Amino acid sequence: MTSASAPISVRAVRDYRANSLWRLTLRRIFRQRPAIIGMTLLGILVFCAVFAPVIAPYDPEAVLIGVENVRRREPPCIHLLGCPKDRPQHLMGIDGNVRDVFSRIIFGARISLFIGISTVSFAILVGTILGAISGYVGGWVDLVIMRILDVLLAFPSLLLAIAIVTVLGRGLQNALLAIAIVSIPVYARVVRASVLSVKENAYVLASRALGGSHFHVLLRRILPNAIPPLIVQGTLGIGTAILDAAALSFLGLGAQPPTPEWGTMLGTERNQVFTAPHLVFFPGLAIMITVLSFNLLGDGLRDAIDPRLKQG
Amino acid sequence: MFAKRVFVVLAVLTVLSMALAACQPAATPTAAPPTQPPATQPPATQPPATQPPATEVAFEPMKYPENPSCDYGGIIKEIAALDRLTVQFTLCQSDPAFPSKAAFSAFSIQPKEWIEAAMADRRILSQPIGTGPFKLEAWNRGDSIVMKRFDDYWGEKAQVETLVFRWNKEAAARLLELQSGTVDGIDNPSPDDFEVIRNDPNLKLLEREALNVFYVGMTNTFKPFDDVRVRKAIAMGIDRERIVKNFFPAGSEVATHFTPCAIPNGCTGDPWYEFDPAKAKELLAEAGYPNGFKTKIYYRDVVRSYLPEPGLVATDLQAQLKDNLGIEAEVVVMESGAFIEESSAGRLDGLYLLGWNADYPHITNFLDFHFGASNPQFGKPHPEIYELLQEAARIADPKEAEDLYTRANNAIRELVPMVPIAHGGSAVAYRADVEGAHASPLGNEYFAVVKPGDRNTFVWMQNAEPISLYCNDETDGESLRACEQMLESLLAFEVGGTAVKPGLATSCDPNEDLTVWTCKLRDGVKFHDGSDLDANDVVMSWIVAWDAKHPLHIGNTGAFSYFSYLWNALLNAPPSED
Repeated sequence: MTSASAPISVRAVRDYRANSLWRLTLRRIFRQRPAIIGMTLLGILVFCAVFAPVIAPYDPEAVLIGVENVRRREPPCIHLLGCPKDRPQHLMGIDGNVRDVFSRIIFGARISLFIGISTVSFAILVGTILGAISGYVGGWVDLVIMRILDVLLAFPSLLLAIAIVTVLGRGLQNALLAIAIVSIPVYARVVRASVLSVKENAYVLASRALGGSHFHVLLRRILPNAIPPLIVQGTLGIGTAILDAAALSFLGLGAQPPTPEWGTMLGTERNQVFTAPHLVFFPGLAIMITVLSFNLLGDGLRDAIDPRLKQG
Repeated sequence: MFAKRVFVVLAVLTVLSMALAACQPAATPTAAPPTQPPATQPPATQPPATQPPATEVAFEPMKYPENPSCDYGGIIKEIAALDRLTVQFTLCQSDPAFPSKAAFSAFSIQPKEWIEAAMADRRILSQPIGTGPFKLEAWNRGDSIVMKRFDDYWGEKAQVETLVFRWNKEAAARLLELQSGTVDGIDNPSPDDFEVIRNDPNLKLLEREALNVFYVGMTNTFKPFDDVRVRKAIAMGIDRERIVKNFFPAGSEVATHFTPCAIPNGCTGDPWYEFDPAKAKELLAEAGYPNGFKTKIYYRDVVRSYLPEPGLVATDLQAQLKDNLGIEAEVVVMESGAFIEESSAGRLDGLYLLGWNADYPHITNFLDFHFGASNPQFGKPHPEIYELLQEAARIADPKEAEDLYTRANNAIRELVPMVPIAHGGSAVAYRADVEGAHASPLGNEYFAVVKPGDRNTFVWMQNAEPISLYCNDETDGESLRACEQMLESLLAFEVGGTAVKPGLATSCDPNEDLTVWTCKLRDGVKFHDGSDLDANDVVMSWIVAWDAKHPLHIGNTGAFSYFSYLWNALLNAPPSED
């Protein structure tokens, strides 16, 4: 009995592993061109963020007055494109405070990725707890939590974030907190929906009948169902969070000078759109590429995890 | 079916007619006024012309108000005509700046009869009658103002026969007109175009010395700014030249003193500290901050001629403080109103970026305002400074007061209530063949002295159309410059400078304690309508603006801001205005 069943079970396990949700998902993702583009862009961004000090030719906060012979708001000078060799090379030009824009953009990738990932992790953590309790306990607890979250959702997210920053005071940390708070309801809803959809299933009831505690059942039997939609939502959410943070910084509420944050860079030089377009073009482009990469990846993940959605 | 079609057609017609109706009212009122004033102009100018003989016969000197009092809080107590050519101003407090203020174009003189005739129906706003070298020919709204030489002018007659004012708010468009030769002079070319103008042999650029100051303020009631060594360290640790060179347009200067040098006694005494980071670090260490400290840099995101790039300057200052002194400063943008309120009350606990534009070119306007005994904006005022200022304010002659101001300037340098950084400049540009071209630090270029080659018309292009030509109730520089070509005040400013010279009055002399100023009017001055200037014209011109209850206190907005500002308050001002 044991000798006969063993090889079968090994193969079964291998098959099972080969066809596990994650492997299937990965395989499906690699079949989608947009998702691959998104991943490549993201890879480049992460590389830039990790190796920023190596890539960036200058300190992002160093003022080059007196260090180099460059003018304020000088347009890009690229040797490959015919800029005279005796001029110092600045791939994206010089900003209004005579700093190297390229270095600032590279270091800005760090900040933006940090903003996106930290706010979304925080929001997912709090959202999951709220959503799980709400869905699992039900009754008046569900009612109270969900109504509060509905109120949060009813506000335009950026306005709410501005209001929160106004109360907490300006600064990158407070902006992060504001964006995180604003995005909690989305994740709470996702989790609650998956909890509700499986809570009455037979296997959950069985686990309860076998003596599993509420905590055990929730954590081990129910919540794993919420992971795929959370991943999709989270990836898309990172893009939104980066955009919101850039908007707050643009308004002067987020990262404070001299931090090389893309939104701040846009905000301080917004009036130079005609006289020195490179100062708004490159930060804008950087924000766009980052958000695009997360959105492409998020879309790809959604299609991969739940192919039915794509058909429907 | 037919009824339905008719209904639809009717509905469309109604909507169309409503749309038309909505467009029309916007078009008619703007079209109407320009046509009206020229129509009423000839009859309006005639009556005063016939009146002078009558008034000359019996001159009844005016005295105002009937019961002079200082309780209203202003500086002026009484304005009286003593005889046909003498006006006496009695003040509530001594005011050495009286001549500088009296020379200002917001206090220009028009005939009493014309004020009485044209104020109520507001014709005075578009048809000024002055004594200046040019008289108004036509104001083509939205396009230009044309002035003709006034041949009976008392002084040196204008060089050109016709003076035309035009305007365009785009600096690039103004430069284009100048380059194409359709105008002879332009105001405020963009700093980006300075090089272009300098390199053009057909044009010349004149930098306009700035009557303003940009400073970094500190409040000495907060630590660590209570220690003079810390303040001095900051004064030496900021490379001011770097700020001016990088963030100010050409024509700006690094400030050697708080007051610009164009103002008499403004920069007597020792010049400001040289940039010396080593010495600054030493001072900081002495004060107990060898590694710097944490503070804030407050500013408002408002562009002024003294601070063209607020955000960038704040960031650069932040970098300098960190690199030179190890001071970690956080940059804080504040809403403009809150910033002014907090800084002037001395409630900002860090450094703040603020500046000052001259209201009138007198040193009291700079020093007494900022360093007087009652101004808390730098914390506790320093008696070492304000006692000298109080003493100096009792002296009318700049030469006599020079020693006191030298000592006051040195005391400011020693005590460092703030760090003066720059006097922000701007420029004007002319065609190269214009003789007598000049730029005035006060922004009041005087076109009677210019001669554009062999042409007989001089065309000036400024930033905007004047709001009205009754400048006693205007504050806007574009209006004032147009008025200054046609209207004159008791005294005048030297062309292209700030020194006060005689105008309609040959002299204005004070009594011992500078509270009574007696002005002798020039004899034989004629207004554009042919009438003669007398003391009652002066009194009338002043009181309608000064007394808020006067029946002719109408003007354009009725605010008469310069009267209430430079003389502290309007007489009988309604309490709500305070």
